[in-house]
Amino acid sequence: MGNVATFFWGWLLASLLLGLLMGWIAVVQRGGVSKTVGRLLWVLVAGLVAVALARLIPGRPGYWLDLGLIMFTLYLCGCVIGSCLRDWVVSRSQPPA
Amino acid sequence: MRGLFRWSSKWWPGVIPLLIFWGFAAWTSTEPVEADLAARANAAVKDAILDKKRVTVAGRDVTFAAEAFSEDGRRSAVAAVDTVPGVRLVNDESRLVPAANPFVWAAERDVVRVTLSGSAPLPSSKGKLLEAARANLGGIEVSDQMTLARGAPARFDSAAALLLDQIGKLKDGKIALSDTKVSLSGMARDLGGREAIAAALRNLPEGYSVAANDVKAPPYIFQAYKDPVASTLTLTGYVPDNNAHAALVAAAGRKFFSEKVVDNLKASVGAPSGFAAAAVPALSALSRLSTGTLVMSDREVKLSGDALYEAAATQIRNGLGKDFPQGWQYKAEISVKPPSAPVDASVCQQLFADLLAKARIRFESGRADISPDSLGLLDRLTETALRCPSANIEIAGHTDADGDQNANQTLSEKRAQAVADYLLRGGLPASRFTPVGYGSTQPVAGNDSEDGKAQNRRIDFVVK
Repeated sequence: MGNVATFFWGWLLASLLLGLLMGWIAVVQRGGVSKTVGRLLWVLVAGLVAVALARLIPGRPGYWLDLGLIMFTLYLCGCVIGSCLRDWVVSRSQPPA
Repeated sequence: MRGLFRWSSKWWPGVIPLLIFWGFAAWTSTEPVEADLAARANAAVKDAILDKKRVTVAGRDVTFAAEAFSEDGRRSAVAAVDTVPGVRLVNDESRLVPAANPFVWAAERDVVRVTLSGSAPLPSSKGKLLEAARANLGGIEVSDQMTLARGAPARFDSAAALLLDQIGKLKDGKIALSDTKVSLSGMARDLGGREAIAAALRNLPEGYSVAANDVKAPPYIFQAYKDPVASTLTLTGYVPDNNAHAALVAAAGRKFFSEKVVDNLKASVGAPSGFAAAAVPALSALSRLSTGTLVMSDREVKLSGDALYEAAATQIRNGLGKDFPQGWQYKAEISVKPPSAPVDASVCQQLFADLLAKARIRFESGRADISPDSLGLLDRLTETALRCPSANIEIAGHTDADGDQNANQTLSEKRAQAVADYLLRGGLPASRFTPVGYGSTQPVAGNDSEDGKAQNRRIDFVVK
């Protein structure tokens, strides 16, 4: 997949930046999906990863699934980095209790 | 870590724009990715020896279809596609080229094209054979109906190339190779072509053999055309060798005394046995015609044309067959030339003199048997005698001065009688002719030279 990433690296970068943005917002925002829905969504993601690794879906849909999961992975990385950064910035600006 | 779990529940809304990004990414990248993978997969198997190769890409999955010439070659080609970076799966639809048993290859020639059919073992063999066919048969269309198959015998390429050389020597026909057995049929292009092919087949690679060689030689043609308007005798076709050529042209010169001999003959092998023994009497018969064509095709002799008078036509129709060697066939289509207008005695004398000035009546040496070389002349003399029915003619025999005087006298009388007999067989009444022998008493030239003696040995026609 690395060799063909030259054809969609822009979209990967966009996914990473979107993740950074969502991660940055997530630290101070209220709300979000419920625990149950969150778990279901993670199960769904795990299922899709399993299907991709097992190469169960052939042809173009298989490629699109791989592409989506890679973009999602970079999005998650962006989220983690964004949230950590925001948390670090917030904790530095607040005096210790 | 707890923070991450807590924050992650708020990351999900970002998935919605992410899905939009994904849609765009899939839309814009799918076809370029597929084209790139197809190009690299094709490059990976570029040097592999394969037939009917087809690479199709859907997403990152490559479908590879081809016919390979060995199991190792097939596996290595599939592995080469599989190792192209970026390929996710290879759908292997490759298989081995079917085996041919027996392994048959053929080259067939007709008037306009050469068709190569059957099986070739490798694309390179097929290409070489096509190239060789086009080079050898310059200008002739080469049609390729060869398929590829496994199971060719060893040294197939050199055997097929040798056979392809031979197709150039055929006018039409077929050369087929079935495993190691060669079979040939058809008609050779030239005389001697059949022998040349048979000689070339001795150089077939080891293990190959000729199962059937039914190549026929073209007919051995000899033609002579007598044209009274142009006063020519045109000889075309073949003669066995230079000696026979010279002998035939010399015989034609003697027989056709008033025609120019146009010699277009070529020497060639393949003459039927008895060729010379048949050609000479056939030319004698042609010399008796006013206009005519002689065609000798192998052992078949066909003579057509116009005889000078009715009796000559009958003699030519019936008499010639017995002069040919055994096994020869003779077919005569003889009609009779319309009779010329009658003339008076003085013109008749002039016509006789003109004819006898061009040629002399020849006899066998020391005998009174008329030479076949003089039949044409005698027919013309007969025709002239028929034109002056009221004239009485003295047929005067003369000899040179060599030998005994009495013997010469007797010989000249017998020769004059032989000529008179010939004229009588032409339908003229005996009462009109007086054969007389003068021996050597009336020389027209000196008897001290060979040339003078030859002039003195003669038959004169004197109109009374």
